[in-house]
Amino acid sequence: MVVKIRIQLDKAFLALFFAVFLLAFGGLLGYKIKHEFPYAYFASDPFQHQVRAEAIKEAGNFKYEAIYISKGIADVEGRYPPVLYHLAVILSYAAGLETYDAIYFIVIFFIIIASFMMYFIIKNFNSTIALMSLPLSLLVLSSPISIGLIWGHWPSLLAQSFLMLFFWGIAKLDLEKSFLLIALSLAAVGLAHTSELVFALLFLALFFILKILMKKFSISEIKKIATAFAIFFVVSFYYLVIFLNTWAKSETYSFKVEPIWQGNPGFYILGFGLLLVPIFIGIVLSLKRLKDLHIALILAFAMLVGSYLNYIGFGLRSFQLRFFWPIYLAVFFGYGAYAISGQLIKKWNFAAHGIFIVLVILLLGVVRFPIIKQTGTTLIPLIPQLSRSPGQGLMDAFHWEALSWISKNTEKDAVVYFFYGDIYSQDALLRNSKRVHQQVDPEDFIKALQQGEIRQEYLSEFPGDTGGRMAVRTSFFKFESADKSKPEDFHFGTRDICNFDYFVFDKVSRQEVLAKYNLFIAQELLKKDYIKPVFDNKAVVILKNNNPGDDCIEERKF
Amino acid sequence: MIALKRENFDIVKKEFRYIALLFLIALAAFKIAFFKENLMVLLRNVLSLFWLFILPGYSIMIYWSEKIRFLERVIAGALVSAAVIGIFSYYVGLIGLNVKYHAVILPLALIFLGILINIRK
Repeated sequence: MVVKIRIQLDKAFLALFFAVFLLAFGGLLGYKIKHEFPYAYFASDPFQHQVRAEAIKEAGNFKYEAIYISKGIADVEGRYPPVLYHLAVILSYAAGLETYDAIYFIVIFFIIIASFMMYFIIKNFNSTIALMSLPLSLLVLSSPISIGLIWGHWPSLLAQSFLMLFFWGIAKLDLEKSFLLIALSLAAVGLAHTSELVFALLFLALFFILKILMKKFSISEIKKIATAFAIFFVVSFYYLVIFLNTWAKSETYSFKVEPIWQGNPGFYILGFGLLLVPIFIGIVLSLKRLKDLHIALILAFAMLVGSYLNYIGFGLRSFQLRFFWPIYLAVFFGYGAYAISGQLIKKWNFAAHGIFIVLVILLLGVVRFPIIKQTGTTLIPLIPQLSRSPGQGLMDAFHWEALSWISKNTEKDAVVYFFYGDIYSQDALLRNSKRVHQQVDPEDFIKALQQGEIRQEYLSEFPGDTGGRMAVRTSFFKFESADKSKPEDFHFGTRDICNFDYFVFDKVSRQEVLAKYNLFIAQELLKKDYIKPVFDNKAVVILKNNNPGDDCIEERKF
Repeated sequence: MIALKRENFDIVKKEFRYIALLFLIALAAFKIAFFKENLMVLLRNVLSLFWLFILPGYSIMIYWSEKIRFLERVIAGALVSAAVIGIFSYYVGLIGLNVKYHAVILPLALIFLGILINIRK
C-alpha cells in the first residue's frame, strides 16, 4: 500500500512539474499561444526559420528555397535541415496557428519532452536522483541560456531533443528491434540540425570505450548499432547529399581555440553559481560509477566534453550544446544534491518530494530577498533562476501589418526597397514581405543625412540567406553556386532607388532625425505624379513607383 | 494466441484511460500556463499535440509494452512520432503530396502501422 502511494505521488509531481515548466514557457510567450505577430522573436534567426517554414507551407514542400529568401535567384535547393520546418507547418495546420506561433511551440514542447526523457534515463540509474534532477531543467529559461530560444537557435534545440531519444534508445539497446529506435533518432537529429550528429558519435565513442574497459563489450551490440547506422544512412541519404554539397563545403572544420563565444552572451560553467557545488559533487561521484555503464552518467560526461570542443575548433556548435546543459548535467546536480541531503535525511519516501518542491521554487525565482541590493535581477544571489518574460520582441503590430500588406497586395515579381528602420538590421524579418527586397546601408544613409543630401543612389544591401551557400542542383550529386555568375556588387553595392517598385519608410525611430530624413525622402519622391502612397499606418508608409527606371527623385543638397 | 491478443487488448484498453487522463492533465496545464488564451484555442492545440505526437507514438510504442512502462513509452513515443512525421513529411512533400495533407495522413498512417505491428506481433 505504501509503495502504491509513492508511485502515485511521483506521477503527481511529474504532472505538477509539467504544469510549472509549461507556465515558465508561457511567460516567454506572454501567456498566450496565438499572437497577432511573431512574438518573443529577439533576433534575425527566429525570423529566418519562421519565414522558411511559412514558405514551405505556401509551396507545399521544401524542394526549393523561396525566391525572396534567395535574393531573387530561382531554383535554389532547399538546404536547411527540414524537420523543424515540416513539424511547424504540420502543427500550424492541425492547431490552426500561424506558422510563427507553431514553430516556436514545437521547439518549446520538445524541450519539455526532452527533460522528461532525461528523467526516465536517470530513473534507470536511481529514481530519487531522477526526481531531484528534474528541476534543473527549468534553467533552460534562465539568462543567458534562454538566448537559445529567443535568438532562434531552434534547429539545434530540436535536434538536441532528438538526441535525448537517441540516448534513451542506447539505454534500451537490449530491447528487441531497438536498432529501429536508434536509427530513427539519428535520422531525426541529422535532419533537424546535422552538426549534432557529432555529439551523438562522441557519446557512442565514450560508451564503447567504457564497455571495452569494463570488459562488457558485445558483438551483438555492435551489430545492432551498425544496423541502426545503415538504416539511418538510407533514410537520410537524400538530405545528406544536399548537406555535403552545401553546408559541409561552406563550413569546413579548422582548428581554433575559442574560449569565449564572440558577439554572443554565451553560457559558461561558472554561470551555475552555487549550484556548482552539487554538480561538482555529482561529477566526482559519477566518475566512480562510470564502470556501471549507466547511460545517464555517460551522456552527461559526453555532453560536458562536447560543450568544451570550442577549444579545438567546434566553436558555435559546442556553445549551442550548452543550451541543454540544464538537462544534460541534471544527473550530476541530482546526484550531488542526493549525496548532500543524504547526510541529513535517512528516509526518502516524502523527503525527496519535499526537496524537489524546494528546488523548483528556488530555481523559479519566486523567493525574493529585497535586502540584497546588488542582485538587481537575481533574486537569490549566486543561483541562476528563471528569467522574467523578456517582452514581445522585435516585431510590433504596425511593422507586421506593413509586411503583411506587401505580401498580399503587391505584384509577385515586385522588388521592394526598405529605407532606414530600427529593426531592419535583423534583416530576416524583411522576408515576411514575401518579395525580393533590398535595404539601404544605414552607414551610407546616415552619411547622406550628415552631408545634407537627397540622393538617387545609396549603398544598399541585398539581404537573403546565404548560410551553407546558395546552390542550384544540376544533377543528383552535382551542385553549383547559385550566385557564381552574379556581379561583384550583387550582395552589396550602390543602388539606384528609382529601379524599385515599392519604397518602405519608417515614420518613427529611436533616433528621430533618421525617421525625419526617411519622410523627407518620401516627400521628395511624391513630387513625381507616378509615385503614390499605397499604405500608411502609425509606423510605416509605403510608396508605389509606377514607373521604375525613370529619374524618380531630384538629387540636391538641403 | 487469442488469450495473448486479448491480454494486449486489455492493456491498450486500460492505458487508453490513462491517455484520456493525460489529455485532461495537459489541458489543465495549458490553461494554467497560457491563462490569457482562449479555451477553444488551447483545446485545439492540445488535441493537435495528441493527434500528431502522443497517439501515433503510443501506437508504435505498444510493441514494447512488456518491457517499458506507460509514461516512459508516451514520452519516448512523442519523440518517435515527431521524428517519423518530420522526416517523412519532408520526403512525401518532395514526392508531390502537398504538406497541407500531412497533418491528417501521416499520424493516421503511423497509428495504423502501430496497430498492424502489434497485431502481427
